[in-house]
Amino acid sequence: MNKKTIAVVNIVIMALILAFVGIYSHYRNEAVYRQQVESFLSTTVTLERVTENYLEGEQGICDVWARYLNAVPMTMEDAVDFVRTSSKGGDVSAHLIDAETLTGLSTQPSPGGGYDVSYKQISLFGSLDWIADGDASVNITRAYTNPVNGEQSLAFCSMIALRDGGGTRPAILMCVIPLAELGKKWVLPQEDFESAELSMIDAEGNYIIKGRTFKNSNFIEFYKSYNKTDAAGLKTLSETVTGGTGTFAMTDSRGDTVLVAHTPALSTRGWTLLSCVSDAALRGNTENWLLIGTVSAGLTLLFIIDLLYMLRMNRQLQFMTREAESANKAKTDFLSTMSHDIRTPMNAIIGLTTIAEKNLGDPASVSDNLRKISLASNHLLTLINDILDISKVESGKLTLSPLTFSIVETVENLVNISQPMVKEKNIDFNFRVSSMETEYLYADQLRLNQVYINILSNALKYTEPGGQVSVDLRQEPSDRPGCVRVTYVVADTGMGMSPEFMARMYQPFSRQTDSRVNTIQGTGLGLAITKQMVELMGGVIDCQSELGKGTTFTITLDIPAAERQPDDMRLEPMDVLLVDDDEVVLETGADALTSLGARAETAGSGLEAIGMIRHREESGSAYSVVILDWKMPGMDGVETVRRIRAEISRSVPILLISAYDWSDVEDEARDAGANGFISKPLFRSTLYEKINELLGLESGLKEQEDDYSDIAGMNILIAEDNDINWEIIHTILEMFGITTDRAANGRICVDMMAQAERGQYDLIFMDVQMPEMNGLDATRSIRALEDPWASSIPIIAMTADAFSENVAECMNAGMNGHIAKPIDIKLVVKEIRRIKEGSKQ
Amino acid sequence: MKRIASIALAALLVLLTACGAEAPAAQGFKPALDTKTACSLNVAGHYSNFEALEEEFNRFAEHYPNVELTYTYLDNYNKIIATTLESSDAPDIFFTYPWMATSEDGAAVLAKAEDLADEALKIDLSCIREGMLYEDAQGKVPMVPIYTTTYGMMVNEDLFKKENLSIPTTYSELLDVCEKLKSAGYPSPMMGYNSFLIYPMYFPYFCSQIKDDPDAVKALNDMAPGAGEYARGALELVDDFMSHGYIDLEMCNALENDYQDVIMRFFEGDVPMMLASGNTVSGTEKRESQSEAFTANPFTYSFHPVPCSDEGGYFMNTVSMSFSVNSGSENLDMANEFMRFLVSTEELNRMAQSKRMVTPCADMSLDAIYASFGDAKVLYTASLGLADAPDSQMRKAGRQVSNGLLTVDEAVAAFGTLE
Repeated sequence: MNKKTIAVVNIVIMALILAFVGIYSHYRNEAVYRQQVESFLSTTVTLERVTENYLEGEQGICDVWARYLNAVPMTMEDAVDFVRTSSKGGDVSAHLIDAETLTGLSTQPSPGGGYDVSYKQISLFGSLDWIADGDASVNITRAYTNPVNGEQSLAFCSMIALRDGGGTRPAILMCVIPLAELGKKWVLPQEDFESAELSMIDAEGNYIIKGRTFKNSNFIEFYKSYNKTDAAGLKTLSETVTGGTGTFAMTDSRGDTVLVAHTPALSTRGWTLLSCVSDAALRGNTENWLLIGTVSAGLTLLFIIDLLYMLRMNRQLQFMTREAESANKAKTDFLSTMSHDIRTPMNAIIGLTTIAEKNLGDPASVSDNLRKISLASNHLLTLINDILDISKVESGKLTLSPLTFSIVETVENLVNISQPMVKEKNIDFNFRVSSMETEYLYADQLRLNQVYINILSNALKYTEPGGQVSVDLRQEPSDRPGCVRVTYVVADTGMGMSPEFMARMYQPFSRQTDSRVNTIQGTGLGLAITKQMVELMGGVIDCQSELGKGTTFTITLDIPAAERQPDDMRLEPMDVLLVDDDEVVLETGADALTSLGARAETAGSGLEAIGMIRHREESGSAYSVVILDWKMPGMDGVETVRRIRAEISRSVPILLISAYDWSDVEDEARDAGANGFISKPLFRSTLYEKINELLGLESGLKEQEDDYSDIAGMNILIAEDNDINWEIIHTILEMFGITTDRAANGRICVDMMAQAERGQYDLIFMDVQMPEMNGLDATRSIRALEDPWASSIPIIAMTADAFSENVAECMNAGMNGHIAKPIDIKLVVKEIRRIKEGSKQ
Repeated sequence: MKRIASIALAALLVLLTACGAEAPAAQGFKPALDTKTACSLNVAGHYSNFEALEEEFNRFAEHYPNVELTYTYLDNYNKIIATTLESSDAPDIFFTYPWMATSEDGAAVLAKAEDLADEALKIDLSCIREGMLYEDAQGKVPMVPIYTTTYGMMVNEDLFKKENLSIPTTYSELLDVCEKLKSAGYPSPMMGYNSFLIYPMYFPYFCSQIKDDPDAVKALNDMAPGAGEYARGALELVDDFMSHGYIDLEMCNALENDYQDVIMRFFEGDVPMMLASGNTVSGTEKRESQSEAFTANPFTYSFHPVPCSDEGGYFMNTVSMSFSVNSGSENLDMANEFMRFLVSTEELNRMAQSKRMVTPCADMSLDAIYASFGDAKVLYTASLGLADAPDSQMRKAGRQVSNGLLTVDEAVAAFGTLE
């Protein structure tokens, strides 16, 4: 379902909800409206009863006076005086009108002061039947203009007989009530209908009493003026209005719809009470609009939130999809690269083996081919190790194996490894070491090497020929007790990295997309492995890079100092001249020499050095050793040696410093008179060893790696079904003085252990995939043996199943270690030593 | 999203356009008072119905929605209005008439009236036609005409077509047409309310006789001895026309008033010509539906000057009704504001159209029924300066001569004393 469909569905749902709310509100409104109409009609009917009672009461007062006046006929003047004096307070307004002349007297004076009153011009008394008719309970005039005071009024009437000479004459007694006074009382008693207007009409529709909303002089005329109708419609209206109680709607003079309620009033007169109220006033739907508005706003808000959430989710999904596609592509690319990278050395191995087989009679050719096969094999092994490492990284099972090692060896290793590419690409390579006072450290040297090599090899790989790569390695005090802070900075002037790539450069299988990068071999795993390892060692890796300008990686590690330090390295008192154009080398080298007990002097150039050497020779205190940098501006090291030998001394010992492989210049340097070579950086141990070697003194240090006496004489049981593999491991171990027995599968291995004498074997190298019984089951069986020695014998997996889960399986089965095939002999020796050390404890 | 936003915007624009589509009714009028003012105004008059004014109330309410306007019919208006103005029911605005300017009763009424020419009120009196506006001796304008009227005859055009006759424009043609109609079987080719009868014929003629004679007007106003001679010509016209028997007095006597009965009788459809005033004409449209005869057989009718000489008839224009503002009104400012709203060409013409009366505005917009008056010679009674008394005497003289109660000589001799 795409965004548009979801939006349409949302809108349709909103519309349906709003339609439902609208329809519901409409029906609710209609129900409320009907209730209001019923209430309005009911109120009108109630008011009619009240009105009728009021009118009958007023008429009753008029009738009482009429009865008094009729009981003893009076003259008009006397009758007026009687009414005036008999009324409470005398403020009643009454007119006595001669029925024939329609003139008479008023109880209240006109503004002019007179009491005369005339109804000749007022169309009230054209006929007197409506007053004379005794059946009518109320005889009330229409609203008219009181001729005495000009006020709109009503009058209750009764016929009386006035004395006229000896007889009587008919007259009308009118009790006059101002409409304004009546209007104050005559209102609907409910607040809901306070805006309602009231009228009373006679049978013809003429207003008896007229509210302000009612227009014209006749209600039927009023209806006709503002509502479309015809003669038949008017007749129906008239019948409806005068026919009973009910309601109908009409348009008023403002064009608004009003509801008119009608109910018979004073039925004996055929009158009708009308009440009129605005239709809008009855439709109390404000709350419903509020409801619809609230629901609309709420739905719109939900819709917007929904849309925004969908957009956000879509963006996340798109991002995740891109990430997944990117990762998938990276893995595909990786597999493709792996396939290529594996096939390349395999091609070399297979091809060179074929060539060697065909040239068995040519030892030099065979030797050269074997050397190349070895190189290709090592490269292949590196690739496979990378896969293993990243597997360990991903599973979080990368563990460290710390041991004491020399940082000098590490540096030398780095320099040596980098030399081929430095030379190949003619890179300006500079390796500086400063304050490296703690030579022996306690860490996983292999992993540390791997980290340093990864960073340095990247710098060399991605720097254009002729570019610069510099390495700074320095020691500083660490916050962590017993540790030194080792900072490793590799800066290059290579192609640099984009910010986008830097954001993901530590992810596995990531390689920068660049036409130049594509020509460079790599797995895209190096930085991922490096970062994981640095963090595992508790360190920090930082990178500053700018595309096209270069990259600087900084790795900071707090590494424990080893207990064993070459504190006994002391040179005999001697004067040493150190010559280099690099002030940092001069400073660090002089410090190292001073710490070894020598007196160090420095010179910044070959020419300065010649002067200093000449001065010493002439003063009879010649330098014991002169250490000269090979590459210096102006006069280089070889030329300086040549001039020293030619001009000053042929005997002063001279060492040439080089950061590079000196094999290319060795002959030239020796011909010039150099006595030896020393590589940068200038470690204390290197200086100590080389100076002693040069002066023919014995070095106190021994190469531990070349001494395998500690493991000689061990006896190892090897469970291996493959004859070649058995032969390789058997032969190699034999070279270290280790004897071996073979078990051709797991079952045999278990049997041999069950029958072995106590202490017969020091450990077992166990293949995993073997016929009859695999290595895992064999391990579990051995661990289940009753003999404590046999069941606890160290077992090291030696298998081509090299992934992390394979390692875990081995460990779970009860093994003590894991060596992947093809075997690295150094690792084999390392494991043997580890087991031997463990057995001593 | 863009499409949804566009639809929403379009809907909003449609709504806004729809909301703004209804313009205010009277765009030229700018309220001068606080439009939230709440009060009541009462207009009192002698019209039993005044729908045209109710429409103006509604239009005024668009500016002042909280002002409640009502119209009240007063019984015996001309007599009672002075009293009502003194009462607690005193209206804020009331009807006034030209006769009030020349009578004692009227003077008492006008004394209560606000000076509508007061510049502070900013009422645009310039829209009133010249000769229609009354100014007192102090230059005050106590009343502003709302309606004017004229006199003439309603003509059943369908009957004229049926008889193949043209509507007469001269006295000779009138006699000829009446003769032919009489011959065609119409017992009374012309009718009218008896008290009024052929006033629409002879009074314009009478005015045309004295319009350029100030001495005659003065003598008539003063009721000077022998002033009746100025009426002789008009009375001879009455006598001459009545002598032909084109008016059946019995049929005319059956009409009890000059409004409802006259209109309903004319709508019976058998009267070719009905004498009437503009006031009567104003009630015709409303009563068409009330007449079963007219509803069953509707016909085309129009209102024409009565040809009283061979020069034709006259458009004798006189003020029918004016409005005055009660200077003692509790809501005097709003009453004046309503007058400022009402006294404009737009509103007064609208009221005239609504009631089929003649507008008092200089920019006349006559209803179609008055079309033929556009070609008639105009006579403004106000400019004649004739007082109410000689007018009244002229009516009485004409009625009595037309009914054969007096000869022309007797009427001329008794002029000024006729009852």
